[in-house]
Order: sequence, then structure tokens, then C-alpha cells
Amino acid sequence: MEGYEQVALVSDFEGMERKEVIVDDVPVLLIKQEDHFYAIEDVCSHDGQPLSDGPIENCQITCPRHGARFDLTTGEALCMPATEAIPTYDVKIENGRIWLREN
Amino acid sequence: MTSTTLNVTPPASFAEDVFDAFLATRNEPAWFTQLRRDAYQIYLEKLSEELDPEEWKRLDMRTFRPENFEIKVQTEAGASFDTLLQDRAEFAGQVTHVDARTVSENLIEEYKSKGVIFGDLETVLNSHGELLKDYFMTRAVKPDADRISAWHAAFCTGGTVLFVPRNVELDRPLHSLIALSGAGAADFSHTLVILEENASATLLEETVSSTEDQPGLHVGSVELLVAANARLRYVQLQNWNQKTWHLAHQCGRVAQSASLQWTVAGLGASTAHIHQDVMLDGKGAEAQVNGVTFADRRQKISYYTKQAHNAESTRSDLLYKQVLRDKSKAIWRGMIRVEPEAQQTDGYQRCDALLLSSTCRNDSIPGLEIEADDVRCTHGATAGQVDEEQIFYAMSRGIPRFEAMHMIVEGFFQGVYDRIPVEIVRETLSQAVIHKLGID
Repeated sequence: MEGYEQVALVSDFEGMERKEVIVDDVPVLLIKQEDHFYAIEDVCSHDGQPLSDGPIENCQITCPRHGARFDLTTGEALCMPATEAIPTYDVKIENGRIWLREN
Repeated sequence: MTSTTLNVTPPASFAEDVFDAFLATRNEPAWFTQLRRDAYQIYLEKLSEELDPEEWKRLDMRTFRPENFEIKVQTEAGASFDTLLQDRAEFAGQVTHVDARTVSENLIEEYKSKGVIFGDLETVLNSHGELLKDYFMTRAVKPDADRISAWHAAFCTGGTVLFVPRNVELDRPLHSLIALSGAGAADFSHTLVILEENASATLLEETVSSTEDQPGLHVGSVELLVAANARLRYVQLQNWNQKTWHLAHQCGRVAQSASLQWTVAGLGASTAHIHQDVMLDGKGAEAQVNGVTFADRRQKISYYTKQAHNAESTRSDLLYKQVLRDKSKAIWRGMIRVEPEAQQTDGYQRCDALLLSSTCRNDSIPGLEIEADDVRCTHGATAGQVDEEQIFYAMSRGIPRFEAMHMIVEGFFQGVYDRIPVEIVRETLSQAVIHKLGID
């Protein structure tokens, strides 16, 4: 599992869909959607502040402040005011442990 | 964002029992211990309050883990430091602090005989306690100013004191070095400069780490008290390693017809936040504030500056220049505040940012609050990338790309270098820029 960092357990997600973790000193938002895990850098590329509380729908997270929307899979910015993608993380699950590595 | 930094119980390494044990190790006057105890109570109160969002919301503190740092009982033996300034000039006095302990201090006899006091805070507290009582965190940075200043006042580990009596002019600079060597070491050093009427001095201060990869914490405070007709030049060169957190509350107070020239350089630290106030309290007081920042990798360097015009015919002039590369971030929030009685104020502030990558970020927010009606106040901020045509032009004349980039960055900083009269500081900054560009 070289390059990956263990950040959470699958069991952490019983009854919740997201968790804020730190990977290599970077805040990352780990999200569970219908048995799939996604991980994105928890910083909006528009205003530089957290996406943590943003609503999630159709695998897209919306910034709670100005409405920028990002694809959870690719990090792509889908609408204004964001124009830059956010970094995403590769998620690996092994023995109930969740590991992340920046893509 | 700031709500995520809220924590009503103090970090384990700064808990009440640790504070009491820390006090037991100190050899200080009773009034100073009481100041610490009061400050600790303020710190506990401030922990339950949100940090001022205007000051902190642009700075991501979510990865800050104060419990991972502690004030070391012993310093690392034999640690060596790659300082930028120490060996570059003949200083009239030097103070060196390592891991929050003073390891050396000296001042030439000529200055001592004139009544100049320069040395470690704890020593001066015991030799001239009554003098410091009037100044230490009573006029410039007060313990209740914010959480950082309360935290600092409670755990202040020492620092550098400079006192220059009336009519004494120091023609040679003094040097103060603050160093961190151990992993997880915390430094709460305080810099207190007191210039009496018509005195003058130059103090160069730098911060440095002994290694590239050991995390550290600096919670500092700087107080610059410049009495009437006095002239102070103060330089702080922040050059920690990129695992260190640098949090500081700094304030200069300038009395009638006095002048303060204050230069801050932000080169190191993983995250640095400096609250910098300049108070122009007397008629004709002047302050020039210079800032040089070069951030790379994932560094975050933040400044919250205030130029407060509290009296008539005062003048302030702030110029910050910031260069960013990689995924770094620089924040500057500046304010010129003019009180109703401060007529004939001349205030200026400007922050320029040069972005060397598409992934770095700069937030510059100038501001004015003016309550007088006969003033001149101007402000501005710029941010831009290097013009590829300039690089192409240089390369077409045989200058390699990296050298062209170096010339452009040096040219960008030149505007602020020209304002720094201390040659070794200009040279040192220039060398640091070359190092940051990776071409040395």
C-alpha cells in the first residue's frame, strides 16, 4: 500500500456519510455514497474555504457559500463561480480500513 | 471554518497542570507570575470564543494540532543553525535563544556604559523588573487582545529586550536569533523594544530551525515602543523550516515626531499568521512597513495588518511584496484606520503578489476606515503571473529560463528592497530568493 495513508475505518460510516480527515497535512473530505467511497480535498477552489458541509447530490458536492459544484469522482468544477478542479484521492479498502492517496 | 478550531479544553501540553509545572520552573518577579496567571485565565476564556472571522477565516487551521507541541525542559545539545544574518555583519550585541532558552547574550561595553539594556527577558526581568513592569504587555500587545496574545503571555518562554535611554543613538545594529531544534518544540518568545525620547537603534531578528523536517511551534509577540523623536529600525526575518507553525501578535507604538521602520520577511513556516499593528500616537509620527514574502510548496503565510492613525499629521506607508509558487497561499488583510482627531493624516498601503504557478493562491484585501475629513489615504493590491513574453524576450537574448525568472522575481522585489536601508538585510533576502527559486 505504498503511498497510501490509512485515514478511517469502514465502520466509521455507520449512520453517517462523510468524515473530515487529514492526509499529508491536507484536509480531505471522505464521502460515502451508496456503498462507494470518494475523497476530495476539502477546500473549494473558488474561495479557498471548506466544502465539508456542502450538500451532495448525484455524486456532486455543492459549496455551501457560493454554490460552486464539483464532481466527486474527478474533482471537476461543474459550475461557476469555480473554474478550477479540486484534487481527488484514490480510495482503497482493505480489511475494513480505508486508505487514501492523492491522484 | 474557524468554528473547527474551537476547543474549549486546552491542548494537553498546555493544560492547567502543565501551566503550573511551567511556572514552577521560572525565576521571575511576582508581578510577572501574576500576569501569567491572569493571562492563562483569559486564554481559557478565549478558547471558548470563536477567533475573529475577519482575521482568520481565510487561513485554514484545521490541521493545527497544538497538543503535538510542548515547551521543552532541555534544549538539544549541539544543534547547529544555518542562519541568514548572524555571520554577515559585526553586531554590537547578540542574543540567541534555542528551544525557548537563552544560550548566549552579549553587548559591547560602549553601549552598556550608556545605559543600554540588551539581553534575555528573564535576566532583564530580574535586574530591571520595575522598568519592564510599565512596558511589558501593557501598552502595545495586551494579553486580552486575542487568544494568541493570551496564550503567549501565559507561556512566554523568554525573549529579547532592548532598552535605549533618552538621547542615546546606537549606530551599529543588534541581532537576535530565535531557534528551534527539537521535534515538537514550542517557542513563546517575546521581543520588547523600548526607545526613550530621541534615541535610535536598529534590531535585526531572525527565526530559524536546525532541521528541515522536525515540526515546531512559535507563538510570539513583538512590542516596539518608540518615544517622541526616537527612531527605530526593526527587521524580523522569519525563516523556520516548513514544518513549523508561526503565530504572532505584534504591535509598534510611535509617539510624537518619532519614526519606526519595520520590515517583515516571511520565508519559512508551514503556516504563518502575523497580526501586525502600527499605532501612530503622537503628532508627526511616521511608520514605514515593508513586507517580503516568498512561499512555496504548501506554505500558507498570512498577515493581518493595521495602520492606526491616532493623532494629527501622522504618516504611514506600507508596502508588501509576495511571491508564490507551487501550491502555496499568501493572505494579506490590511486596514488603515484614521481616528476623528487624526487630521492631516497621510496613509498608504499596497500589496503586490507575483504568482509563479497556476496552483498557488493569493488573497489580498486592503481596507480603509476614515473618520477624519482632511486626510490623504490611498491603498491598492495587485496580483499577476509572470508574463511569458518577458521570459521569451530574455531567452531570445541568451539568458536561460531560470535566470530570466530570477531577474523577474528580483525586479519584482526591488521596489521593497530599495526601502530597506540595511544592506545586509537586502543581501540576505536576495540570497534567500535565489535559494527559494532552487538555483543556488
